Amino acid sequence: MLDALRYEWTRLRTLRSTYWLIGSGLLAAAAIPVIFGFAGSDEPLNAEMTAVGINGGASFGIPFLAVFMAVIGIFATGHEYRHGTIQPTLTALPQRSRLILAKVLVVSTVTLVVTLASMALNAAVLLAFWGEVPSLLDDPLRSSLIGYPVYTLIYMLIGLGLGLLFRGVPSALVVIFLMPLIIENVISGLSIIPALDWLVPVVKFLPFTAGMLMMSIGGLDMGPGAPDYDFFGRLGSGVVFGTFAALILASAWTLFKKRDA
Amino acid sequence: MITAKDLYKRYRNTVAVDHLSFEVRPGVVTGFLGPNGSGKSTTMRLMLGLDAGGGETRFDGERFTSIRRPMNQVGTLLEAKPFHPTRSARNHLKMLASANGIDDARVDEVMELVGLGQVRRKKPKGYSLGMAQRLGLAQALLGDPRILLLDEPTNGLDPHGIHWMRDLLKNLAAEGRTIFVSSHLLSEMQLMADELVVIGKGNMLFNGDVDTFVREFTQTTVVVRSPSAIEFKARLEREGATVSVEDDGALVVSDMKIDEVGSLAFSEQVELHQLSERSASLEDAFMSATGESEQFVAQEPVKPATGGAQNA
Repeated sequence: MLDALRYEWTRLRTLRSTYWLIGSGLLAAAAIPVIFGFAGSDEPLNAEMTAVGINGGASFGIPFLAVFMAVIGIFATGHEYRHGTIQPTLTALPQRSRLILAKVLVVSTVTLVVTLASMALNAAVLLAFWGEVPSLLDDPLRSSLIGYPVYTLIYMLIGLGLGLLFRGVPSALVVIFLMPLIIENVISGLSIIPALDWLVPVVKFLPFTAGMLMMSIGGLDMGPGAPDYDFFGRLGSGVVFGTFAALILASAWTLFKKRDA
Repeated sequence: MITAKDLYKRYRNTVAVDHLSFEVRPGVVTGFLGPNGSGKSTTMRLMLGLDAGGGETRFDGERFTSIRRPMNQVGTLLEAKPFHPTRSARNHLKMLASANGIDDARVDEVMELVGLGQVRRKKPKGYSLGMAQRLGLAQALLGDPRILLLDEPTNGLDPHGIHWMRDLLKNLAAEGRTIFVSSHLLSEMQLMADELVVIGKGNMLFNGDVDTFVREFTQTTVVVRSPSAIEFKARLEREGATVSVEDDGALVVSDMKIDEVGSLAFSEQVELHQLSERSASLEDAFMSATGESEQFVAQEPVKPATGGAQNA
C-alpha cells in the first residue's frame, strides 16, 4: 500500500494543474472575507457572517474551494483515461483497489490540509478587517466550521468518483457543475409550485443542498414563499451528502475492477 | 518464461482473441506477428490483466496482477505516448518508479540509455513519435526486468533507431531475458526474432522458430534458365512438377527438388544456363499464413488506363 501512496503522491505533486487549482481555490475563497471586509467592516461581525467568511462562501451557495478540489479529484482519475496513462499506471500498480484507495487517501489528505489552510487564511483576513472575530470554539460557529472541511472532502470524493465512473474529465466536470447549480436549484424552485408540491419532501435529499446544511447557521434561505422542507440537521444532512458520494464512488470502484483499462 | 493459456476475448459479436495458448522462452527474441486487427494488442493487454477476458498468463510462474512491484519483473510498452502532456518525461518515470521502489538514479540511467538524457526535463507533448517510443522503452526497462513485453516498439523510429532497438533487444535476450515483441514489420522480425507467434483473427496460425515458419508456409522453388526452356518445361510437367515461366523466360519449378531437376536435365541432354534455388522470404510466408485472416482488406489499386483521354 505504501508503494501506491508514494505513486499517487508523486503523480499529484508533479502536475502543474494541482498547484494552480489549489492556488485559485485559496484565492477565490479568500475573496469572500475580503469583500465582506470592504463592504461592512464598520458593522459588528456576527456568527453567521464569520462562518460564511471562513468557509469562503460555501454555506452561502458559492463553494469555490470545494469545486476546485473536486476538479483535482476528477483529474486524479479522469486524467488517467484522458491521457492514456491508465496503462502505464496499471502496469506499475496492477492491484486496482489498492490504486483507487491510494488516490482516495492522498487526495483526501491534500483536500483537508488545503481546506484548513484556507480557513486559517480567511480567518486572518476577517481579523485584519475587524481586529477581532467571535470565538470559533463556541457553537453554532464551531459545528459549522467542522462541517466545512467534511463538506469539501465529500465534494472532492464525488469528483474523484465521477472521473472514474465516466473514465474522463469533460463528463465529470459537466455533472459536478450541472447538478448543484442547475438541477438541484430547478427541483427546489419547482417544489414551490402548488401542483408540484410532491417535490417538497424530495428537496432535503438533494445531496449538494444537504451538503450546504452541514455548514449553515440559521438554515438555508430557499427564497420567498418557500414551503417548510423539514431539512435534516447538520449530521443528517451530512449523511445524505456522504451517502451520495459513497454511491458514486462505490459504483465507479466496482466498475473499475471489471472494466477494460 | 511467459506461459499464456487459453486467452480469450470477445467484443459483442466479435471474437478478438480465440483461445490462444503459447509459451515465450527466455534467451531468445520471440516475435508476435499478425495483420492489423488480428488481436495482437488485445492479447498483450489480456496477458497483463488490463482487459477482462478468459485464460491465464504467468510470468515466471506468477500472474501479473499478483506481482508486487511488477516493473522489476516485467517491463511493458503498450501504447505510444501514454504520458501526461505537461508532466516532464523524468517526472513521468519517477512517478512509475515510486510505485516499484526504484530510485531516481535508475530513472536518469535509463533515460541516458534510450538517448533521452538531454531532454529528460522536457514535457512529452513536444516529443516526436520516435522519442515517445524511446520514453516508453525507458519505462519498460526502468526496473531492469527479466521479461519484456513490447507492442510495436519500432513504430516511429528512424532507421538508426530501429537498428539500435534491434541490437538492444537481441543483447537483452542474450543475457537470458524473455523478450516478446509484436511488430507488423516483417523484415524487422526476420532480422530480430528467433521464434514467432503468428495469429490471424485472434487464432493461432503458427508458434515455433522462424525457419520452420518459412518452411511450413512457403515452398522453395527452383529457377532454371535454358535455351530449350519450352521443351524442358513440358518434360518437367510430365514428371509431376509445377512450372511457371517468368517474364525473362526463366522457369520457376515447384514440387521438385533441385537435384531432381538437375538429373532430369542431364538425362535429357538439356543445356542449362542457370539452376538455382529461390528461398521464400518471411514476408512470403506471412502472406501465405495470414492471407485469409486479414481483418481489414484494402481494395487493389486500379491501374490507370493507358492511351485514354486525359481529364480536362
